[in-house]
Amino acid sequence: MKLDLRDVTKVFGTTRALDELSLQIPEARVLVLIGPSGGGKSTLLRVLGGLEVPDQGSVTLNEHRLNADPESLQAYRRRNGFVFQQFNLFPHLNARRNITLPLEKVHGHSPEAARALADQSLTRFGLLDHATKLPSQLSGGQQQRVGIARAIAFSPEVLFLDEPTSALDPEMTAEVLELIQELAEAGQDIILSTHEMGFARAVADQVAFVASGQIAESNPPQALFNAPVSPVCQRFLSRVMRY
Amino acid sequence: MTRRQVIANAVVAVILVAAFAVFCTLVLNSLGRPVDWSKAWAYRESLWRGWTVTLGISLAALLGSIVFGLAFLLGQRSRLPVVRWTCRGFLEFVRDTPLLVHLLFGYFVIFAPLLSRPLAGIGWDDKVLIGIVLLSMFAGAYLGEILRGGVDSIPATQWDAARAVGFSPFQVYRYVIFPQALRRVLPAIAGLFVSLIKDSSLLNVIGVSEYFYNTKNFISRSYAGLEGYLPLTLGYLILTLPVAWLAHWLERRFRDET
Ligand SMILES: Nc1ncnc2c1ncn2[C@@H]1O[C@H](COP(=O)(O)OP(=O)(O)O)[C@@H](O)[C@H]1O
Ligand SMILES: [Mg+2]
Repeated sequence: MKLDLRDVTKVFGTTRALDELSLQIPEARVLVLIGPSGGGKSTLLRVLGGLEVPDQGSVTLNEHRLNADPESLQAYRRRNGFVFQQFNLFPHLNARRNITLPLEKVHGHSPEAARALADQSLTRFGLLDHATKLPSQLSGGQQQRVGIARAIAFSPEVLFLDEPTSALDPEMTAEVLELIQELAEAGQDIILSTHEMGFARAVADQVAFVASGQIAESNPPQALFNAPVSPVCQRFLSRVMRY
Repeated sequence: MTRRQVIANAVVAVILVAAFAVFCTLVLNSLGRPVDWSKAWAYRESLWRGWTVTLGISLAALLGSIVFGLAFLLGQRSRLPVVRWTCRGFLEFVRDTPLLVHLLFGYFVIFAPLLSRPLAGIGWDDKVLIGIVLLSMFAGAYLGEILRGGVDSIPATQWDAARAVGFSPFQVYRYVIFPQALRRVLPAIAGLFVSLIKDSSLLNVIGVSEYFYNTKNFISRSYAGLEGYLPLTLGYLILTLPVAWLAHWLERRFRDET
């Protein structure tokens, strides 16, 4: 995938969540965003995912230049998948229905075809036995895997994940990270934010360090983790790597 | 229950039944004249017609209130401030004035002068129609408020998730927000619909010959008492209890689901 952000600004009240952020990435399969909490990772992902419209600046992902028009933004969201930190499954629908409903209503699949696709991804993620359970009856790790299954069921162009394991305990974190790595190895284009530095290093082919609403540094993982150039990134890494 | 509670429960039950029996005996003895069901039987056609009119008005106003309620909900969520404020002002006015006033004022001052002739011209009963509209608007104002509360109670994360999978704004409401919001406000809606059925009796003030109006006529003409009020009470219970039961059943089903 190809990414081009120029002077992107997003203001909430008096907070400049994104502050003239620019980033050019000519080619990457997996882009990982790291950085301190409140630095703007979620906001950046929401802008990239078409869930938030920036106040200023231009965003181009592959061939799509994002604009503020609701219809074209909706069309853009239809092509991409989004996974949230808090899973955000639809609590009134069971695991399978969470996946089939968008397939039927958004992508126009027949109920049979949608079911076949859903069961395919549920099987792939080891969730078929839980297909008829409601989200509240699933563990956090299972919910997040359903969330990922829902986001990739229609083969999205790009998969966005916002801290997909931050609400999970270590064991569940591992099962979800494994799954994301599998997707990456299968060729899925991914942009994700995470606090799991080991995972970022293993899975990314480009890492961007986001702080104060800007990209302080963007490099391949070896370079960024072994020899960070910006002082903020050096300080951040030395702090998180200490333990 | 423990053994003692079982015994206490039985004792209290006997006491309550006895008290009720004494009360009924006292009331019946003080009536002065025997209860004569043949009076009610003689008026059965008028009473039956009134009951069917009440049923029809209730059903129509129920549908009407849903239309108004949805309109008020959307109005309150409009992007245009002027629409939001007009809507809020109107809702506040409707909810803070008596239905009786809406019916008298709305019928005699506003709608009858405007609509009676054209409606009579096409052979429609203007009282029933205008009564239904006014009742729908009244219940719709409450429904709009209940629905708004329900929709507002759905967390922003659900809107995000619904938009993220690519739903259109209509689909977001249809598949994600409404199903969840309705579960939360169902008891309130059932209560509102029960009230609506009962409030349809107020239409007698504009001369709609519904169940209460016809029963009142029967009572005053034949000097009936119990023979009139007992069927009146039962007639409304037959309409309201199924609504209440349906609501309880749905509520339990949704509770088990989550
Ligand atoms: N919807 C919002 N309303 C107000 N402030 C927000 C909102 N979203 C994010 N912010 C603020 O923007 C800044 C960046 O937040 P965020 O993008 O969530 O950072 P991160 O994901 O890196 O922790 C924070 O200061 C946060 O408080
Ligand atoms: Mg975040």
